[in-house]
Amino acid sequence: MNGEAGLWRSLTLRLGIIYVALFLTSTAALFGSAYWFAVYRPLQREAALVRTEIGSLQAIDRAGGRDALIRALTVRRKTGPKQPFDALLGTDGTVILSNLPSWPEDRIHGWRLLEADLYVGGQERDYEALVIETTLDDGARLIVGRDVENIDDRDELFTIGSAWLILIAALLAVGGSVAMSRAVGRRIDAVTRTARQVMAGSLTERIPLRGTGDDFDELAATLNMMLGRIEESVESVRRVSDNVAHELRTPLARLHADLDELRTAADEADRQRLADQALAEAARLQSIFDALLRIARIESGRHLAGVQPVDLSTLLADAVEFHIPDAEAHGQRIECDIAPGLVVEGDRNLLFQAVSNLLDNAIKYGGDGGAVSVRAVRTGAATEIVVADRGPGIAPPYREKVMERFFRLPETAGQPGTGLGLALVNAIVALHKGRIEIGDAAPGTRVTLTF
Amino acid sequence: MQILVIEDDARVAEHIAKGLKTAGHGVALESDGRAGLLRAAADAFDLIVVDRMLPHVDGLTIVQTMRATGDTTPVLILSALGEVDERVAGLRAGGDDYLTKPFAMSELLARIDVLSRRGPAIVAETRLSVGDLEIDLLGQAVRRGGKPIDLTAREFRILAYLARNEGRVVTRSMLLEHVWDYHFDPQTNIIDQHVSRLRQKVDRGFDGTLIHTVRGTGYMMRTGG
Repeated sequence: MNGEAGLWRSLTLRLGIIYVALFLTSTAALFGSAYWFAVYRPLQREAALVRTEIGSLQAIDRAGGRDALIRALTVRRKTGPKQPFDALLGTDGTVILSNLPSWPEDRIHGWRLLEADLYVGGQERDYEALVIETTLDDGARLIVGRDVENIDDRDELFTIGSAWLILIAALLAVGGSVAMSRAVGRRIDAVTRTARQVMAGSLTERIPLRGTGDDFDELAATLNMMLGRIEESVESVRRVSDNVAHELRTPLARLHADLDELRTAADEADRQRLADQALAEAARLQSIFDALLRIARIESGRHLAGVQPVDLSTLLADAVEFHIPDAEAHGQRIECDIAPGLVVEGDRNLLFQAVSNLLDNAIKYGGDGGAVSVRAVRTGAATEIVVADRGPGIAPPYREKVMERFFRLPETAGQPGTGLGLALVNAIVALHKGRIEIGDAAPGTRVTLTF
Repeated sequence: MQILVIEDDARVAEHIAKGLKTAGHGVALESDGRAGLLRAAADAFDLIVVDRMLPHVDGLTIVQTMRATGDTTPVLILSALGEVDERVAGLRAGGDDYLTKPFAMSELLARIDVLSRRGPAIVAETRLSVGDLEIDLLGQAVRRGGKPIDLTAREFRILAYLARNEGRVVTRSMLLEHVWDYHFDPQTNIIDQHVSRLRQKVDRGFDGTLIHTVRGTGYMMRTGG
C-alpha cells in the first residue's frame, strides 16, 4: 500500500483526527455545561445569599449593638437556611459565639470552603461551609456561612468523573477513528485494486460488494455497472471489428478478382460484365461502409441535433406508402392500423429510416403472398409501433442477436442484404431512448418499438 | 458549359475532368482552395464543382465567399461526409447540390445537367407539358392525349419532377431527394418500383413512351421513344 493508497490513508487519518477532535470537543462542552448547571451556578447562588446575610448582620451590629447581633445570629440558626454557620470572635481572639468546629487564625479574604463536620447525637455529619468574613466596627471578626456539602459532593464527582470520561472518550475516539480509517481504507483499497486490474486489461474484474447497501456498496455497484458498460462496448467493438474485417474482405476479394480477370479478358462482352460486377462490388462495399459509419455516428450520440416533435402518424403512412410497390411485387398486402395524431420527439429522418428498415425486412422475409401489418397506438405515456409479418419468424435464441451488426439468420444467407438493417434500427431506437423488442407474431416476426 | 473543378486529389480531379470533357464541357482544374476561390472570382464559369475538404480554404468557405459577393454561379459540393446534417450544412452555405463521394460519373453528369438548367430565378410554373402529356401543377391533374390519368400524390410528384427536367437524366438518388420528404437510404431499389407503377399509368395504352430508363443511372422523360 503505497502511492495512491498512502494518499488515501492520509485522508482517512485526517478524517480520524478530525473525528477525535470533534468527539473530545463535544464531550468537553457537554461536561462543561453540566458542571455549570450542577456546581458553579448553585455555588454562586449560595454565595450571593451569604453575602446578603453578612451585610444585614453587619448593619444590625452597627445599629443595635453586639447583643442585637448575637440575637440575630441565634434567630438565624433557628429559622435560617438548612445548616447555617457562624462565628463571632472578639478583638482579642476570644470566641463570643460559634457553631463552626474550626476556623483559620488569619482573617479570611473573599470566599473560603471550610470543613465543618458536626457531631449530632453521636453521629458525625459531613458539612462543607462556604464562608465569608467581615470585620465589625470595633475590630471583632464575624464569619458567616452556609452548608454546600451537596454541591461540593457534586463537584468532587465531576472532577473524578471528568478524568475517567476524558480517558474513555479519548480511547473511544482514537479506537473509533482507527477502526473507521481502516474500514474506509479497506473499501477504497478494494476499489483501487479492481481499477488496477481492469487497467491491466482484465475487464471482467468487479469490485466485491459487502451486501450492506451502504454508500460504498452503492459506489461499488455504480462502478461495476460502468465497468459492465465498458466491457460490453469493448466486446462489441471487438466483435464488430472482427465482422467488419470479414464482411469487407469478401466484396474486396471479389472486386480484386473481377479487376484481375478484367486485365486479361479478351471478349468485349466479358469485359463489360466484369466491369459491371466490379462496380457492383464497389457499391456494396460503399453501402456497408456508409451503414457502419452511420450506426457508429448514431451510437456516439452526436446525431440528435435535429430533435423536434415528429408527426409519427404521417411518417408511418409515408413509410407504408413508400413500401407498397415492393410489397405488391411480393404479392403482399400492408395492413395499417395507425392511430391519428401520434407525436414523438426525435429525428424524423432517422425514425423514417428505422420504420423503413423494419418494413423492408417484413416484406423481404415475410414470404410471398402474405400480409405485413403496421400498428401504432398510444399506450399511456408511451407510443408503440408494431411491425409484423407472417413469415417463418425468428427463433428465440436469435431474437437478440439479429440486432448485432452483420448477424444474419442462417436461412437468409442467400438473400440480398448486409446484416446491418436491424443494427441501424436498434441504434436509432437507443438514440431516442426507446425500446425494441422482437417477438413472435405466431406465425411470423413481430417487432415492437416503444418510445 | 465551362466548369471549374476544385479538387485536391489529383486522380479524382482527373477522373472528373475526363468525364466532363467526354460529356462536351470545358473544364478548368484547381487543386487548392485559395487558388480555386481566386479563379472562381476572376473567370466566368457556368458551374463550379468544389470538394468540401481542401487545403488552405475549405469548400464551404469558398461557396460562402462567392455568395457573399453576389456570385450566383451554380455550385455542386463534393464531399466524403454523407450524413444529412453535413448535407444541410453544405446547402445552407449556399451550395446548390451536394454529392457524396464516391459517386458514379453518370450521377455527377446528371446533377450538373439539372443544375445548369436553373437559370436566374425560376418563374413559378403552373403547367408542364411533355408531348401530349399535360400536367396541371395547381390542380394536381394529369391528362395525356386529353384523357385524364389518376395518380397518387407521390406519383404526381415523381411525374412533375421528371417533366420539369425533360430531356435530362434524373438519377434515383435525385428522385429520392426531391420527391420524398425524408433523407434516408432505402435498402432495396424501391424507387424503381415506384417509377414502374407510374409508367404503367402514364405510358401504357398510349402512343410513344415518355418515361425512359437510362441504364445503370436513372430515368429520363422525353418524347419520341
